[in-house]
Amino acid sequence: MVGSGRRSLVVGRWIRALTVGALLLGSAQLLADRGKNIYERNCVACHRKLPVALDKFFFNYLLKYSSERRVKEALQRFLKHPTKKKALASEELINQYGLMPKTELSDTELRRAIDTYWETYKVFGKIK
Amino acid sequence: MSASNATATSISHSERRTLQRFLGLYAFLALLILILGSTIYYKLQKDLMLQTKRLELEEYSKELIDGLKLLHIYFDRYRTYPRNPLYRSAIYDADSVRIFSTLDDPEGVQLDKVIYTTGRVIQYIHVLDSYYLGAKYVVVEIDDDRKWFVQTWKNILLYGGALLALFLTAGLVLVRLFLAPMRHAIRLLDRFIKDTTHELNTPVNAILTNIEMIDTEHLDEKTTKKIKRIEIGARTISNIYQDLTYLILHHKIASQNREVDMSHLVQERIDYFKILGESKKIEFETDIQPGVKLYIDEGKAARLVDNLLSNAIKYNRRGGEIFVRLRPGELLVQDTGIGMDQSAIKDVFKRYKRFDTSVGGFGIGLNIVAMIAKEYNLHIDIRSKKEKGSEVYVRW
Repeated sequence: MVGSGRRSLVVGRWIRALTVGALLLGSAQLLADRGKNIYERNCVACHRKLPVALDKFFFNYLLKYSSERRVKEALQRFLKHPTKKKALASEELINQYGLMPKTELSDTELRRAIDTYWETYKVFGKIK
Repeated sequence: MSASNATATSISHSERRTLQRFLGLYAFLALLILILGSTIYYKLQKDLMLQTKRLELEEYSKELIDGLKLLHIYFDRYRTYPRNPLYRSAIYDADSVRIFSTLDDPEGVQLDKVIYTTGRVIQYIHVLDSYYLGAKYVVVEIDDDRKWFVQTWKNILLYGGALLALFLTAGLVLVRLFLAPMRHAIRLLDRFIKDTTHELNTPVNAILTNIEMIDTEHLDEKTTKKIKRIEIGARTISNIYQDLTYLILHHKIASQNREVDMSHLVQERIDYFKILGESKKIEFETDIQPGVKLYIDEGKAARLVDNLLSNAIKYNRRGGEIFVRLRPGELLVQDTGIGMDQSAIKDVFKRYKRFDTSVGGFGIGLNIVAMIAKEYNLHIDIRSKKEKGSEVYVRW
């Protein structure tokens, strides 16, 4: 009797842990999804019209800023206050299509979009 | 020959100590210089090796960067890291995060350096201007074959050893040079004593035997007193003569060890010295257990006892006392003399060391005692208090 009681207690604890884990995973997934949505709607949608793909821009940022932290910082800086000087796109492209408009996303949303952008094109784990 | 041998030993004893101390210090300094030199040499050799390897590694890094550039441009199509069996490499971003590595041990990379060896591998760090694939640092690694290391150590040991030997030889020569005047002085002193000794024997014996032959009963008191003084003087000289002969000849004469009746011997020597003590009004008190035996050369035993007694008289005050006690395994000679400091005790066995220069003597008495004690494993213990007197224990 006592043994089964203890077993049910253990099982109960397991279930609770699993639930919490699932919830955490779910919320993380949810956040990522939200980031992806923002990224798809605010970045990809517009960039699709350009002849230069988004990954080319990414590699230009990588070429100039190297690390994850520095690339993200530079992107954030540029997207909030785009200037010709900061832009990494070629001059012809800017002349033809104009400088990117200032983002209207909130800081958090922008950060999520940039995170998604990084996750999409980062080289970590992809080199063989 | 034997005399010069004896003196040579006495010199070489103190000389060896000086020699050891000097050479110790000298060797330490020489070693210090050699270690310093070796360190510089080692560092130079290491730098030289790294400089040679650097050219090779720079070539490799250029090749790797070209590969990275291509990979950067065509990353949407190719994702294979440029590899070469000649070297291993790794790339790190501006925040020192590893992007990719084929290194054996990517954890220990020191990105703040240019080229270095870990002992197992040589690593070269190249900082990129354009960060292909986000790589700011390119690390190229080859195996360190350690040939330079072995060669350098061989050279250090070989030339260092040769230099040390040279230093030490020079040191030895220097010491001999410095000690030469001292040796000369000691040799002169020893020779003088030796010569004097040879001339002493016959006259002293002539005096002593003739005094014994004088029939004092027919003489008046004044003359008897004078003759007694002459006898005291002659015995003192005789005692010195015995000591000197021992010092000069003890190496030549083999010890004739046998069971010696120490009780008898000590009593006999006390009787002999009584007359010397009388001149200073010194009273002898004895507590001698009969039948105490010791396996020793009788002549040497006599020298030992004589010297202890003669010192007890020499360093006693007028009207003092000497107490001699003999027990199996222990002889005690106690005086009521001037005594000495603790610091002086350890020096008393040195030859020519005279504790009180106002008292006659050569300073060889306790040196002889120490020599005999050493030969027969006797333990000598001196306890002394200034102005109170000294106790000398001989234990066996």
